[in-house]
Amino acid sequence: MRFLLLLLPLTLFANLNIAVSYPYIGALTKSIGADKVETVVLAKGNWDPHFVVPRPSLISKVRNADGLIMNGGQLEIGWLPPLIKRAANPKTNINAATFLNLSNHVTMIDKPQSVDRSGGDLHPDGNPHFHLDPKNILILANVIKEYLISMDAKNQDFYEKNYIDFFDMWNKKIDMWNEKMLSKKGLKVIQFHNNLAYFNKSYGLESIATIEPLPGIPPSSKHTISLIKLIKEQKPCCILHDVYHSTKTAEYISSKTDIPVILMPHDIGSLDNTEDLISLFEYLTGAIK
Amino acid sequence: MKKLICLSLVASSFLLADTDLEQLKAQMDKQQLMIEKLLKKIQKLEQADASNEQNYIQKLDIKTAHNHQENAVQKKQASETKNATFMQSQYMPDISLIMDTSYVSRSKKDDEAAHLEVPGVAHGLLGSHSHDGDSHSTYNASNGFNLNYAELVLSSAVDPFFTMDGIFHFSEHGVEIEELFFTSTALGYGTRVKGGKFNSNFGYLNEQHHHAWDFADMPLVYESFLGMHGLNEKGLQLQWTAPTKNYLMLGAEVLQGENEQMFGNATIGDAQDPIAKGSRAPSLFVAYAKTSFDIEDTTVLGGLSYANGTSRIDHSDDEDGPHVFSADSVLYGADLTIKHYFDSYSFLTWQSEWLMRDMDGVQYNLDGTGAVVSSPNLTKEQAGLYTQLIYAIDKNWKIGARYDTIYKNDVAANGIDLNKPTDLNKYSTMIEYRTSEFAKFRLQYNRNEALYNEDGMREKIDTIILQANFSIGAHGAHSF
Repeated sequence: MRFLLLLLPLTLFANLNIAVSYPYIGALTKSIGADKVETVVLAKGNWDPHFVVPRPSLISKVRNADGLIMNGGQLEIGWLPPLIKRAANPKTNINAATFLNLSNHVTMIDKPQSVDRSGGDLHPDGNPHFHLDPKNILILANVIKEYLISMDAKNQDFYEKNYIDFFDMWNKKIDMWNEKMLSKKGLKVIQFHNNLAYFNKSYGLESIATIEPLPGIPPSSKHTISLIKLIKEQKPCCILHDVYHSTKTAEYISSKTDIPVILMPHDIGSLDNTEDLISLFEYLTGAIK
Repeated sequence: MKKLICLSLVASSFLLADTDLEQLKAQMDKQQLMIEKLLKKIQKLEQADASNEQNYIQKLDIKTAHNHQENAVQKKQASETKNATFMQSQYMPDISLIMDTSYVSRSKKDDEAAHLEVPGVAHGLLGSHSHDGDSHSTYNASNGFNLNYAELVLSSAVDPFFTMDGIFHFSEHGVEIEELFFTSTALGYGTRVKGGKFNSNFGYLNEQHHHAWDFADMPLVYESFLGMHGLNEKGLQLQWTAPTKNYLMLGAEVLQGENEQMFGNATIGDAQDPIAKGSRAPSLFVAYAKTSFDIEDTTVLGGLSYANGTSRIDHSDDEDGPHVFSADSVLYGADLTIKHYFDSYSFLTWQSEWLMRDMDGVQYNLDGTGAVVSSPNLTKEQAGLYTQLIYAIDKNWKIGARYDTIYKNDVAANGIDLNKPTDLNKYSTMIEYRTSEFAKFRLQYNRNEALYNEDGMREKIDTIILQANFSIGAHGAHSF
């Protein structure tokens, strides 16, 4: 019995203990919640967000949480459901008021016309990497603010104030980044996987092809050869590459076509210089030279 | 004449259909125009509204207003293609179908392989066998092609308090309910109750299904002690995850206790004058503790398990030495898995499990007519383990090796050691290729040195298995 009492304080003393699937959600929640909220990030920022190791320690993190915020759009489909099941926490069940699916609050693009696995690993609701549009960050900040207020109404003013501060700051940044990216508008780019769709859209970059022939299907030599041909015809500026896939094929294409491979972080912690939301977008908007 | 009428009818129906289509198109165009006009109006109104507000609110409001508009349009479209009255297809559970098939080449003919035994431990590990009147096969039973199973999985939330899962194995011999259980979702405090028929969470491998294993067959010690289904029982499970930073889970299960190789409670023989009287059911109790911690990109998971039950093993129909075994039995398990991740796709896993069993009872040896000729007290103290190393090179390729052994095999009748062999070993290696998460091919080689023939001579068996496993439907998420 004493043993049980020793275990209790862990959950009693913290304010709100929110588990979040990805680092960017953690940072955003922290911006609004500040010291009233503890965030526990489940996935690592430098790994493929589709493939997160469902370590047992994550079960404990979900089990001890007062709520769960996820990206949604089926990005977590391969790893989060068994964690939620095993954690057996009513506060993190998908229909709980303390469960937040961010994808329900943004407009998703690239929704496939028809869904069939012969088309690769498709996301039926559209491209789920929506946080890379800086304007979506504002929407998400608002959603998270409302979410925190719904759980902790007595600190409403605190969350509102933090939100307004964040909003002002982020809007200024958006203007700066717009200016920075102005000269890049209309550039054609190649990607490995279409995880920059929202970034490209918001800065007018045109993604003309991906190195993987279909979503989730590794590069094939046939597709790579046709890609080299396409690059020679269409003259894209560069290959924007995620940090978690091997750059081997991209390097090969680069050597044949003389366009550079640029590593693009997809989340906080993807690369050394991306330790928070601002530096992530600073990096992204400064990556194409 | 009739033909002509028919033809003209068909032709006219096409014409009519065409005009219908054109009308529809025209209507749709009109509606599109209307929607666009409405949208423009809404935008104007919203912008007028927004301009009155402060600058920083404005940008967001246009954005959200925009979202609302899009939602409205979507809703409108949805209402146009409204579900049929009473249609319930939205409530369809997640469905997936998994097939497993293999090509086997074994250095022994099927009928000979079926008669081999692990002395003092188990018989009929290879090939087809029958129990309770149905014939069924182990995985990869025959030389040549095998259709191991089609696994149908259905799962869904029942209501705010429960989920339900059904897992059915279809084979050429029939259908088995592999698992069918409810799970509580609303108890809180890290507690979860599961009931129905399910794989016990004893040890590490026992809970996993065949298609989640790293090899095409079960480890020797598991299959010898518990049979090809492992501990798969009707019963009730209670699990509690501690509110600690490191993972700690305690679980207990009350199970019916009907394992073909080790546990049982049914009366064997004549009801009036039984050979072995049955025990009270449920008769199997399982408890375990599991814990895990991370050291950077390495995860360590360990567990201790315990099962206590009664055994009623009926081999009265065996051609060779018919017997019945009745005992009190205990099974101990310890497991350790260490997994190191190099990146999102590449990892190295070292996984080991140790099992020990202690059975104490009476063996009733029968003659050809089913009469008991002797009934020595029989004790079995047996232990074995498997240890395996799996290296996932990337998303597509995996290689692995496994060592199996039963190293302790103390069987004594009336206190006299029966000198059963102990160096019962098996070696396996495999290479696996996946085209995606949903399709994999595996080439496995086994050398089994644990099997003896009816003359008590050891038979070393080499097996090559080419396995293909496919799944369609709902995305099965991986657990650790």
